Amino acid sequence: MSAQPELIDLDAPLAGDFLAVVRLIIGGIAERVDFAFEEIDDLQLAVERLLAEAGTEGTVHLRFEVRDEAIRAHVGPLDERAVAHALRDGDAPLGELTLGRILTTVVDSFGVEDAGKDQIVVRLDKRRGWA
Amino acid sequence: MGVSAAHRRPASAEKARSEDRELLRRYHEGGDTSAREELIARHLPLVRSLARRYSGRGEALDDIEQVGAIGLIKAIDRFDLSREVSLATYATPNVVGEIKRHFRDKGWAIRVPRALQELNASMSGAIERLTGRLARSPSIAEIAEELKTTPEEVLEAMEVGSAYSTVSLSTGPSGEEELDPLETIGDEDAGFERSEDRVALEPALDRLPPREREILRMRFEEGLPQTQIAHAVGLSQMHVSRLIRKSLTAMRDELLRPSGEDRQAGSAG
Repeated sequence: MSAQPELIDLDAPLAGDFLAVVRLIIGGIAERVDFAFEEIDDLQLAVERLLAEAGTEGTVHLRFEVRDEAIRAHVGPLDERAVAHALRDGDAPLGELTLGRILTTVVDSFGVEDAGKDQIVVRLDKRRGWA
Repeated sequence: MGVSAAHRRPASAEKARSEDRELLRRYHEGGDTSAREELIARHLPLVRSLARRYSGRGEALDDIEQVGAIGLIKAIDRFDLSREVSLATYATPNVVGEIKRHFRDKGWAIRVPRALQELNASMSGAIERLTGRLARSPSIAEIAEELKTTPEEVLEAMEVGSAYSTVSLSTGPSGEEELDPLETIGDEDAGFERSEDRVALEPALDRLPPREREILRMRFEEGLPQTQIAHAVGLSQMHVSRLIRKSLTAMRDELLRPSGEDRQAGSAG
């Protein structure tokens, strides 16, 4: 990994019509670091599921730190009440499909950063799995 | 859960209307969800008839019918028994409105250039070939090279597939058409509770068609990659990807769907 990641910041409307645009941008970023089709799909799904919890009004900030073989995405601020508890359920029993379990499956790791005022930023790490 | 096998009986319009009112009364006043399901089944032909008017506009008829069915269900849930109007008359603008709203919301996608749609159609085969050849999921650049196009166009074509071609969740394992199980849920089904601070999707998971449920189980319980799931269920990787997204979205939408307010409002007084 390079020491200094490239940074890409994006403020996106939460309205559904713009989700495809966000996905396209994620795809474009991930393509630059040669992610496989499935890895891109995973990262897009992770962001998409998080944004689904963020409602449909206002905007959300996305920051992408792009390294040689990995992307770190920061998504938020998001409403802590709506998202944080669900994220702690990554080790939920089998058969219980929670947001935490989804993220555990599709990204290499994720974490939550306190953004104040009952808000959080979710950090997603996805590494290129081949080459 | 599926729609009951009830069909409109060969009876006069007046008799059908009377039967509708009895079913509406059972549902609104008695909370009989089987009556609601029968009403849905009885009026699906109306939905199909209305949906056909909007076919040929770049959207699969199945998908238009599915959207129209949502309008029908809303009409059934909101029907006011004190009004002297038939359910068919009341439901028609609801169904048409839902379909029109769907086209308006998808407006940008419907104008997708044909070349991108064709590229999307050819991507699935390219990904399968490359996955077999490389023994891993291909990169976008590799897909672009295979299809003799640019990575940017591949990415755009991916979005055409994911955002536009609505994969119907209403097709059962036999391939038979049925109403989306997520839209036939009674409001009082056991085990279904909404939670504001916990995004537990499990209850809605139970209502997905078996194939979609199995795909989610393989992906999120067993942690299998899409390529293996695709092989196991006999679909393309792109199709599996779409089904996963659509299933999760449908489950989420189900959790957010008003549960009970409409029906209670309709039966008030």
